[in-house]
Amino acid sequence: MSSDPYSARVRELFDAPVHAGCLDNASGTQIEDQGVRLRLTAELTGSDIRALRFQVWGCPHVIAAAEMFCESYEGRAASDLLEFSASDLMQSLSVPVEKTGRILVIEDAVRSLGSVVRGAFNQDD
Amino acid sequence: MTKRPNLIYLDYAASTPVDERVAEAMTALMTADGNYANPSSTHAAGRRSVEHIAHAADQLAELLNTDATRLIWTSGATESDNLAILGSAYYRQKRGRHLITMRTEHKAVTDAFSALERQGFEVTWLDPEFNGILDIGKLEDAMRDDTQLVSIMHVNNETGAVQDIRNIGAACRKRDVLFHVDAAQSVGKLPIDLESWCVDLMSMTAHKVYGPKGIGALYIADRPGVHIEPLLFGGGQQRKLRPGTLPAQQIVAFGMAAEVARSRMNDDLEHLKAMRDRFWSGVCDLPGIMLNGDIGNSFPGILNVSIEDIEGESLLLSLEPFCVATGSACNSKSQEPSYVLRALGRSDELAQSAIRFSFGRPTQVEEVDFAIERYRSAIEKLRQIAPERAT
Repeated sequence: MSSDPYSARVRELFDAPVHAGCLDNASGTQIEDQGVRLRLTAELTGSDIRALRFQVWGCPHVIAAAEMFCESYEGRAASDLLEFSASDLMQSLSVPVEKTGRILVIEDAVRSLGSVVRGAFNQDD
Repeated sequence: MTKRPNLIYLDYAASTPVDERVAEAMTALMTADGNYANPSSTHAAGRRSVEHIAHAADQLAELLNTDATRLIWTSGATESDNLAILGSAYYRQKRGRHLITMRTEHKAVTDAFSALERQGFEVTWLDPEFNGILDIGKLEDAMRDDTQLVSIMHVNNETGAVQDIRNIGAACRKRDVLFHVDAAQSVGKLPIDLESWCVDLMSMTAHKVYGPKGIGALYIADRPGVHIEPLLFGGGQQRKLRPGTLPAQQIVAFGMAAEVARSRMNDDLEHLKAMRDRFWSGVCDLPGIMLNGDIGNSFPGILNVSIEDIEGESLLLSLEPFCVATGSACNSKSQEPSYVLRALGRSDELAQSAIRFSFGRPTQVEEVDFAIERYRSAIEKLRQIAPERAT
């Protein structure tokens, strides 16, 4: 049994958070809760997500989870953001149960981003 | 080009490697051609083990400027602390049940006092000043007619703050209050003079001073009123105060570690100061950085720094391959911010961002320079990816 609290995947995402940053003139949301400060921004092409970026103040699992979310949601339909569940991130990254609250902040932020994006989309209509 | 091995150890306040001379002395007593006999045995081999132990006691006593007969061997500082605190409180409880310590003591001390509180003893918990140092006037004010014991550590394991043991001892002696010192971080590193200091009980361990884990000692002063009740029973060794077969090889190792430490204490201090000052001068210009403690009043082997708006766990991971501590080493699995730093007035966030760098004899300039480089780049990276606070 490994005594390392971080899986290889967490280390990989933490070491190279290629989606860290902020998109200019894009839809965005920011949440502060559970000792986490998270900002997400999204650029759309039609109804699809063209690019995602995150900024975060949090533990390594939160940074890795934010990176993993951005990596896996670029190219998907913007409406998917509203259905986002953090449980896949929890499992894929073997997040310890005591950090559940922090990972749920990501879920809240993604769904909030989904609402912002939908609002922007409806305005364009 | 800086050499970058897999792990770089800057956690010498948690433990130290065994000095080669110490390891040699220790292993010589462990094998079939060595003096492995039980020192309680009356035959010639047993008597030889006794001689080895007596020599080790002399080596340690010389380091502390005391008499070897005042030392009791234990398994380490935690046991020594418990034996000193519980043992003396039980022995003197008919005279009074009031005890005094500081909130910034090691868990081995605070948990022992908490156990006594649960048994009906009354404990006054003193707060340090901003720099971690005890205001002796506050200690004097806290002492009462029924106060029996004061326990203050010499060097704080998290911040390196060095208490004025000589004058605290004098204040206790004036009121005939026993004075225990947890010296786990100072024995063999700072000068200690038990002949002239008014210390009644002192706890120490070998593994912080280039000896092995599993061996420590408790000094018990030879003066009226200073006595402890044993916590273990059986065998009658060590005047029945701490029975059990004496681990001769561990004791010999502690003795040798003490001798080595005594012979090179000034060189060690000079080296540690150079390493600490080099590191601090390399990071002190970072915005929001602050020292936990006071560099003028602290042991040079320990430097504890917090930094504003940085998440501690991410900082620690970014610092790999450095082995450093966040909070107390014994408490590093806790998610709670360090109680020691909270007692110094640090916010939860600042306490959580604290990193203790502790330097040792093997620490090299290249390692310190690489630590500076890694700390600065970690701070830069984490600040770059953090959003502004919402207004």
